[in-house]
Amino acid sequence: MTRYGRTGQLVRLNFRRDRFRILMWILILAALMASVAWKFEGIYGTPREINAIKDTLASPGIVAMFGAFSFKGQVTTAEIFANEMLLFMALIQVVMNLALSVHATRAEEDLGITELVRAHAVGTTAPLLAATIELVIVNGLLGILYSVGLMAANMPGATTEGNWLIGLGLATTGLLFGILGLLTAQVADHAPSATGLAYAVFGISYLARMITDVQHPRLTWWSPLGWVEKLAPYNDPRWLPVGLSLLLAFVLLQLALLANSRRDIGAGAITTRPGRAQASAMLRGPATLIWRRQRNVIIAWIVAVIIFGVAYGTVFNTIGDILKTNPTMQQVFGAAMVHEANHKVLLSFTSLLAIVMAAVAIIPGMQLILKLHTDETRGWLEALYARPLSRTHVLFSYVGIAFVTSTLAFIGGLAGIVVMGDASLTHVKDGISATEFWHGVAAQLPEIWVFLALSVLLVGCWPRLKTLSWLYLALGFISVYMGSLLKLPDWVKNVTPTGWMPRVPQHALDWTTFSWMVVLAVVLILIGWLGYRRRDLQMS
Amino acid sequence: MTDPVLQINHLQKKFGHFQALKDITFDVHSGEVFGFIGPNGAGKSTTIRVLLGLIRATGGTASIFGQNVWTDSVAIHQRLAYVPGDVYLWPNLTGGEIIDLLLKMNGTAHSAKTDDLIQQFGLDPTKKARTYSKGNRQKVALIAAFSQDADFYIFDEPTSGLDPLNERIFQDAVMALKQQGKAVLLSSHILSEVERMCDRIGIIREGQIIETGSLADMRHLTRTMVTVTLGDDFDVATLPGVHGVEAGHAPHEWQFSVEAEHLSTVMATLGQHHIAALQSTPPTLEDLFMHYYTGKE
Repeated sequence: MTRYGRTGQLVRLNFRRDRFRILMWILILAALMASVAWKFEGIYGTPREINAIKDTLASPGIVAMFGAFSFKGQVTTAEIFANEMLLFMALIQVVMNLALSVHATRAEEDLGITELVRAHAVGTTAPLLAATIELVIVNGLLGILYSVGLMAANMPGATTEGNWLIGLGLATTGLLFGILGLLTAQVADHAPSATGLAYAVFGISYLARMITDVQHPRLTWWSPLGWVEKLAPYNDPRWLPVGLSLLLAFVLLQLALLANSRRDIGAGAITTRPGRAQASAMLRGPATLIWRRQRNVIIAWIVAVIIFGVAYGTVFNTIGDILKTNPTMQQVFGAAMVHEANHKVLLSFTSLLAIVMAAVAIIPGMQLILKLHTDETRGWLEALYARPLSRTHVLFSYVGIAFVTSTLAFIGGLAGIVVMGDASLTHVKDGISATEFWHGVAAQLPEIWVFLALSVLLVGCWPRLKTLSWLYLALGFISVYMGSLLKLPDWVKNVTPTGWMPRVPQHALDWTTFSWMVVLAVVLILIGWLGYRRRDLQMS
Repeated sequence: MTDPVLQINHLQKKFGHFQALKDITFDVHSGEVFGFIGPNGAGKSTTIRVLLGLIRATGGTASIFGQNVWTDSVAIHQRLAYVPGDVYLWPNLTGGEIIDLLLKMNGTAHSAKTDDLIQQFGLDPTKKARTYSKGNRQKVALIAAFSQDADFYIFDEPTSGLDPLNERIFQDAVMALKQQGKAVLLSSHILSEVERMCDRIGIIREGQIIETGSLADMRHLTRTMVTVTLGDDFDVATLPGVHGVEAGHAPHEWQFSVEAEHLSTVMATLGQHHIAALQSTPPTLEDLFMHYYTGKE
């Protein structure tokens, strides 16, 4: 029996196990790509529309979010499309790959399934190889669907080579990070640790590309996530990034195989250390239990959001200095007008980022609330409920920590942007004032709370539907991240709470909207609470 | 006589169209160990989850300490200890942390008794729960339960992962609880354990309690195994209420089983045929179990 024996059977088994999640990812991603491409000529079809968006895309704020691209000569619809979509699609595809790769390897091992499989006549490396093949097939299929979708959309300026370059470029970027997940799954000794490690690398790659894009786009070559930006599919097609991704993926795979062949089942290089023999005085109830279990994740999220805020803040002095792009303006309008204009630009930039930041800050809170149900199905709540603890007590312990986490993460992230941003300015008065900052906070908090309250409602009343909270958040995120660039109709933006509040501090804070959103959040939580008190707990 | 600690009356539970519990009725009193036996999927764990207020009964009543198990669960759990069959522990906490946390949530604290139990069971409390085997996870739950000063203890197949030494420690601890006048509900598959420890037994099948009573009571319902060596050629197969007659190794030696109601007649008749040796074995719980589930001896 070779080391790879029965890999084929395991690949089939993997696809059977993951068929719904793979199908959902592929359908959503391929449909997103194809439908945007399909609509794109209608959005940016005329030279006037293209020239208007071209300047917007060159502004540092947008570069920070979508990447730096260079345009030459007459810009086509397809080039604008590539600029707006490549990095964004790559991000989603990386998230998909990290989820799939850790799920297929370390998570299975944690559950003891790998042990069961390996007890049969299955090669020692077969499970890892099967996961690799699964990732290659999923990414390859997705890449082909992207290319076919782009062919069908037939945007002005699109070329066959460019279409395939986009498909394969995204596929290889996804695969690269998927393989990274396979490697961290070999290095860490349990699934959450493997996921955390992989996301840390992903986060660093993102920050590296963002900072280099804004300042020295040439250096973006050093971030694997930056390679998709270098494809330049429709103006100067380059296959080097595809090759680089494949090469690095191959190297990482070798490392993963090496680590896999040298370790015991269930073990990893980063091992779980022994801990306290007795509980600390602080650990005494459901709320402190969640904190004890999740503190690393909670702290990591808050710190990560703050770092992102600070990173975005560093571009304030580039964005908020109109004279850099338009040196004659001061002579024409005078200093006061220039400062006023700088302030306006920064307000609009901060308002946009505040919405993105809010969507990111919701994630850890939503995870905590949905964890209430995950813990329930894993049997962890059984031990709690055998104690004198009411449903109300346990529910609000999870919900309370979730709300505090998301709220703090958001305030921290926005503060990171504003504090760092103001500090980087030569004229502090151009920056965001404290009042404007707090109005920005107040404008986004109700949105964060409504999203979290919806999760409470689902976990309380219809826990089977809890995945809907992620889809709804994704919809909200896409509608704000891409909404204005794709010129989505208003009703789409208003489907989720992200679109209910006007952009603050660019516009004034609307206290009426604020109030009814808070009331809505409270009502959703109350209904969820009543449902949770009444329903059966689901046990394994 | 005092009121029973646990009282269940015609308890029912439906999951959708599936009737998991059809008719469960039994009591558990103070100072009593009640054995709850039945095959997998008969409804033991479902019954216990109703008792814990984790799921809501669709019919009948259940009360512990005279309080409703669903509406008053918090008050009840103040005086209750529970060890589940499959113990799931928070993976990134150590065993020691979990024991202390569980105790604190009942308003008690880590005591000398806890240390004692940790030592007896041979648990390493500094290991993260993720690294524990099934037996070690059970030990964590058992140590927390025995450290607690409760009035009613529920054990759901608590020894399925323990080695024989630890099983003995468990049994001794349960007998100590009984001495202190506590009530214990023990659901188990290990029939020898139930036979040794339980005062009364309830047998559940397909969501229904089909028999409750002491082991002695139940033995009357089934047959006694008899091995006898007689002094003459009497054919025992002619006796009333005798089954499975087999000739033994020696001449005039017979093995057979007798229905309880015919036992005295059979013995009287045998007495007239010069009994040289006689052995009688009461049915074990295993025999009873087989009797109820397969309808065979």
